[in-house]
Amino acid sequence: MNTLDANTWLTEHGDYLFRMARRQLHSDELAEDAVQETLLAALAAQARYAGDAAPRTWLTGILKHKIIDLIRRQVREVEIPRDADGEEAVDSLFKQDGHWAEPIRPWGNPDTEAELSQLRRMLDECADRLKPTMAQVFSLREVAGMETAEICKELGITPTNCWVLLHRARLFMRHCLELNGFSKVGAA
Amino acid sequence: MKWMTTCKETTELASRAMDERLPLPERMAMRLHLAVCKNCTRFAQQLKEMRRQFRTETADKDEAPGLAHEARQRIANELQKKLDS
Repeated sequence: MNTLDANTWLTEHGDYLFRMARRQLHSDELAEDAVQETLLAALAAQARYAGDAAPRTWLTGILKHKIIDLIRRQVREVEIPRDADGEEAVDSLFKQDGHWAEPIRPWGNPDTEAELSQLRRMLDECADRLKPTMAQVFSLREVAGMETAEICKELGITPTNCWVLLHRARLFMRHCLELNGFSKVGAA
Repeated sequence: MKWMTTCKETTELASRAMDERLPLPERMAMRLHLAVCKNCTRFAQQLKEMRRQFRTETADKDEAPGLAHEARQRIANELQKKLDS
């Protein structure tokens, strides 16, 4: 009667769901949890799955909520970064008078496949180095493309906090890419 | 009031502009600064480029590692348990 099979979902979409979760949660374990919870929820809800969406699309929709749930739990457990958190690191990028401490070098245009894949690897590595909450808020915005207001609401953090986290994450990400030599990629 | 924002303040505005439409005074302040500051102009461009790369990538299939064998097995077991219950 029911042709849907949870093990087929795992076989066919497991890697895809994992990569998507991994890139937003920045932790293998959390990403594995997200995949497991998604498939369990899908199993419980399959009677309601009309089959009009492709299974991957349907599963991805469930995954999105599971990712937010996991981040929300983390935000509750981990202390929400205070204003002082990361402020020193931000200050070190600027001189006393508010000018950049180091010049911002232009980025090259990565156009070969090899350069692009190097850039993508670097982006992932740099994002993994951010503090967990910062990394997750950053990824919800920049990777998943959620609206800032929606992120604040879902995670229960104030817009100011959210916005400070995003701004710091962006400063650190850019700096990290530069430290890793991204400005030289494709700039020949 | 200062006649011009600093680089540090401009990065805050440039970042916020990635998330929402800035109020007119802030937008003007940012434009004024960007018009004369190469560093901040590059910073603002690089924020956009970063977003483009991140969003392009998730749409693609990629070479990032998939589920580890043990995790896959564990999840399969959990699904089986649920199916049996």
